Amino acid sequence: MKHTFLGYPRESGAVGIRNYVLIIPAQRQLNMVAQKIADIVPDTKAFISLGELGRPKGDRLVLQRTMVGLGLNPNTASVLIIGSSRGAGYEELKVEKICKEIAASGKRVEVLFLTEEGGLYSLLGKGIKVARDMVLEASRFIREPFGLEHLTLGVKCGMSDSTSGICGNPTVGRVFDTLIQSGGRALFSETTEVIGAEHVLIRRAKNDAVAQKILDAVAETEQKAKDVGEDIRETNPIPENIAGGLTTIEEKSLGAIVKAGTSTIEDVIAYAERIEKPGLYFMDAWMSSLSLPTGYAASGAHLFLYQMGGAGVPGREFPLPAVSSGIVTPIMYLTGNHETFERAEDNIDFNSGTILQDLETLEEVADRLLKMILMIASGAKTKAETFNHQDPVELYFQGPSL
Amino acid sequence: MSEEDNIAIIKDAVSPGHRIVLHHGGPEHVITVKDRIPFGFKIALRDIARAETVYKYGEPIGIASIDIQTGQMVHVHNMEGLRARGDLKESKTETSREER
Repeated sequence: MKHTFLGYPRESGAVGIRNYVLIIPAQRQLNMVAQKIADIVPDTKAFISLGELGRPKGDRLVLQRTMVGLGLNPNTASVLIIGSSRGAGYEELKVEKICKEIAASGKRVEVLFLTEEGGLYSLLGKGIKVARDMVLEASRFIREPFGLEHLTLGVKCGMSDSTSGICGNPTVGRVFDTLIQSGGRALFSETTEVIGAEHVLIRRAKNDAVAQKILDAVAETEQKAKDVGEDIRETNPIPENIAGGLTTIEEKSLGAIVKAGTSTIEDVIAYAERIEKPGLYFMDAWMSSLSLPTGYAASGAHLFLYQMGGAGVPGREFPLPAVSSGIVTPIMYLTGNHETFERAEDNIDFNSGTILQDLETLEEVADRLLKMILMIASGAKTKAETFNHQDPVELYFQGPSL
Repeated sequence: MSEEDNIAIIKDAVSPGHRIVLHHGGPEHVITVKDRIPFGFKIALRDIARAETVYKYGEPIGIASIDIQTGQMVHVHNMEGLRARGDLKESKTETSREER
């Protein structure tokens, strides 16, 4: 059976599952203007960063990759960039550069400068006018059927417990295998949560060079953890993991890597680095739910799968760790713990805990998950998308802060 | 579960005295539960001596920090990880050099 979804064809040949106008403030002084336009004009998303000033070049490049990547993401229909004046700011983040790289995809890119629009009040008014026109134009794009080879998924596990490694993550892994076999693309990450499982992961590396990149990424992260001078257990496994039955980082990692399935790992990429070819990729990045969805979105992910455990989260209900940190990439919540699903059905889209209850097989659950992903890709909302909230995003910066 | 595993995951919460019949890997044998163990937590399938490796998914997940008896819960009170242990002197880099 051929799996299809209804998506927006883009001029570059990519296909979007959402159709947003993205507003990018090129300098942090203009964050407010971008956010106000997004507040007023529906179907827009603003990328509000923690700012570029005083960050070394490596981190400014992270910002550049993120801005350009969010603009190129197929879920973005067109882009409005707001700058202070022509040629202003750090070299890597000049409006002209960001604009040129996004416009190369054939998307409409509009640029407004504070100095040329006659100051703050007229910039805001002009921004609203231009954004409304762009939204109107984007709304006339019509969805068409496409296959899995046009889909890119990213996964992260969160609030992991012992169900994560045996229900939730294997379910996502199974869907990833189908996606990759169909010519699609997938991303997994969270380098800290590979510590103790890298010997298993490298068996699937495309070649020795990729295996070495995985080992190097893990070794570097482990060294950073050691330099803190604590048992990593003080930080990760997080308290919710320990309360959920996970004891060591090794145990957590061995359960975590299962979410990537069994496909060959094509390469290791940096945070927010774009993937140009089909296959499964490992992003060397931080696990934070206010950071990783943004990084995946910039890499080109259409949909972010947030695979939850949840046994260690106290109380009857619990809120979502992240609602909108993917900016243009929606977040879908899943769990492999049936008790978590019963507690938080308002917030979690999918339950694979039925495997442990002997109600469904892994194959049946994975099939059900793929169907739901295709429905969401075709325009059905995730539960997180029913909140009108923009999370602050924390890009994966290395520092130092200067 | 793998052959090497010396722990298993509890599917339904158990109390001390509860008997678990294991069919895994050869003739069946019975384990008597020694602790209250919640859903999803680990039980020792055999005695695990201090410093002995704990296996899950057929892979090492750390070592016993004290002697663990068959049927006891296995968690942070009796086992520890070996990776990213910045608290252990030999694994410190900058700090230990300064201390010397």
